[in-house]
Amino acid sequence: MPLILRLAFRNIFRQRRRSLLTALSIGGGYILCALSLSLLDGSYNNLIELFTLSNTGHIQIHQDNYLERPKVHKTISNYEALGSILEADPEVKAYSYRIYSPALAYSDHGNQPAQVKAIDLDREKNTTLILDKIQAGQYVSSTPNADGYFEAMIGSGIADGLKIGIGDELVLISQGADGSVANDIYIVGAIIGNKDSFERNQVILPLAAGQEFLSMYGQVHEIVLVLDRFQSALAVANRLQAAFPKLTVSPWQDVEEEFYKSMQSDRQGNQSMMAIILFIVFIGVLNTVLMTVMERTREFGVLKAIGSQPHTILLLVTLETCLLATMAIIAAFIISVPGVYWFANAGFQLAEPIDIGGILFSAFKGEMSFDVFFIPAVVLMLFALVVSLPPGLRAARIAPTKAMSSH
Amino acid sequence: MRLAIYVALFLTAFQVYADSTEPDAIAIIDEMESLYRGERSKADITMIVETPQYQRQMQMSSRAIGEEQSFIRILSPKKDRGIATLKLDNEMWNFFPKINKVIKVPPSMMMGSWMGSDFTNDDLVKQTTLTEEYDLSLVSTSDDYTITLIPKSLTVTVWGKIEYVVDRKLMVPKAQKFYDDQGELIRTLAFSEPKTFGEYTLPSRLEMIPHNKEGHRTIILYETLVFDPDDVTEDQFTLRNLRSRF
Repeated sequence: MPLILRLAFRNIFRQRRRSLLTALSIGGGYILCALSLSLLDGSYNNLIELFTLSNTGHIQIHQDNYLERPKVHKTISNYEALGSILEADPEVKAYSYRIYSPALAYSDHGNQPAQVKAIDLDREKNTTLILDKIQAGQYVSSTPNADGYFEAMIGSGIADGLKIGIGDELVLISQGADGSVANDIYIVGAIIGNKDSFERNQVILPLAAGQEFLSMYGQVHEIVLVLDRFQSALAVANRLQAAFPKLTVSPWQDVEEEFYKSMQSDRQGNQSMMAIILFIVFIGVLNTVLMTVMERTREFGVLKAIGSQPHTILLLVTLETCLLATMAIIAAFIISVPGVYWFANAGFQLAEPIDIGGILFSAFKGEMSFDVFFIPAVVLMLFALVVSLPPGLRAARIAPTKAMSSH
Repeated sequence: MRLAIYVALFLTAFQVYADSTEPDAIAIIDEMESLYRGERSKADITMIVETPQYQRQMQMSSRAIGEEQSFIRILSPKKDRGIATLKLDNEMWNFFPKINKVIKVPPSMMMGSWMGSDFTNDDLVKQTTLTEEYDLSLVSTSDDYTITLIPKSLTVTVWGKIEYVVDRKLMVPKAQKFYDDQGELIRTLAFSEPKTFGEYTLPSRLEMIPHNKEGHRTIILYETLVFDPDDVTEDQFTLRNLRSRF
């Protein structure tokens, strides 16, 4: 071991109380950073996950520019063939088929506009959180009932507006894909979400019922995909786009552009909060390191008097700080792992769960990822290095007589 | 403005016309309009709707008394069978047997498409008399009369200009061209394939082409047309009859 390294180690362990204080300041800073990063990233990711799983999914596939200009005839006709390709894709966790159409909904009490959404019931319940949104009734069957009527699930806006409930008749009128007048009777089987939900004005039908209603046999408007991680949506979307050049594959960032942008600005807000936390940590580390070096002014005077080069002293001070920081960060990492793990799995339970579109958001959870531990380590190391430079330079430059006469 | 087609759909009886020797725009238009106007009529019609996305063919039966009362019922395809439209004066109702519901066509839907065709609900109902709401000017050639209709000032009309082309020899409409306020041609209704129905010869094929919708057109073919049949009676033009299954 080179002499300077041995000296640095000896200095660290010579004044244990002083070193412990510095290490505590660096380690404390690390834990603070790692936990805040975990919580900020976690709440952001949870919100996106909840939002995308609520309805949008992580990726959507459409014909042409259906997303911007939805038209009933912009359909995907070979959807089952596409489905089997998606089935084999290791990154696709689940997918579902959908049909949309505006319609007029009638009951005995009145009429109002509605958004008809026909879904593949078996696939949808594994793709989105639709099962969690059922407020009344039961998830409907994909086959007609004994009287030959399909059951529908309606948003609470439709239920309130038309004054209908479970078991009541609902009449829908729209225009079919072949230009014909689509008209049929459905029985209300479930009420979905609440008045704030995305689904409040929707009438959700089984896929077969929707295809029959709109004369869209063997066709769908949308394939919605859920991946293992929403973070990989962009990459998977690009890959699928290359695989299906005739269709339009959009990641959730494109489908819910408004939401994505507001999330981005929210994240910027989070980053400025992180900057404040880091600044506080920086001041703390600066303070302890500066004190450590100042305390040893006489010692550096002696070193210079016996012939130490200024750059050796600078190197010694910097090395000591960096070594100490490394040890402190390793210790703090070990301490913070269970903390972050708890955040990621249990999180802060909210006293009153927040209702986001019919889904209850009950805990603020953290994120456990490489970044959460790595970023604070790099930042703290840099801080230690930067704050050790000015006192190191001062120690290197100081005249031995002046240094030795200081107290 | 009442176009020959709307009336043709709910056809009435022909009026015997004399060969006009002195061409007068108002007289010609009145004559054309009255061509399809009469006491009672009954027709079997095929309607073909073509768009870039689909083609659809419907068989319908229509009956009418005068121009105030008409009744259309779709006979095929099976999915649409029984859907019916009743028009009484300025009001219009559709009946959908599958949901057993009569729905009045609201004023806001008047410019909407009738049964997915290129004809609007307004085309079926509108009561405007062309010669009252438009100023007419006539250009004669050896074959045709071309009458240009410009809305009279202070009159609210759907169209900025209508060109009405009449076959001089047969004295039947050949084409109607509808322009908007900017003078742009919006749609053309062409009459062709004259066919003899009883005592009268009338164009049996009407083709509506909307120029602002590429690849769209609606063709109406008159399979049969009977004037003054005995089985068309006033009591058939009621909401109760509209609801009746057949």
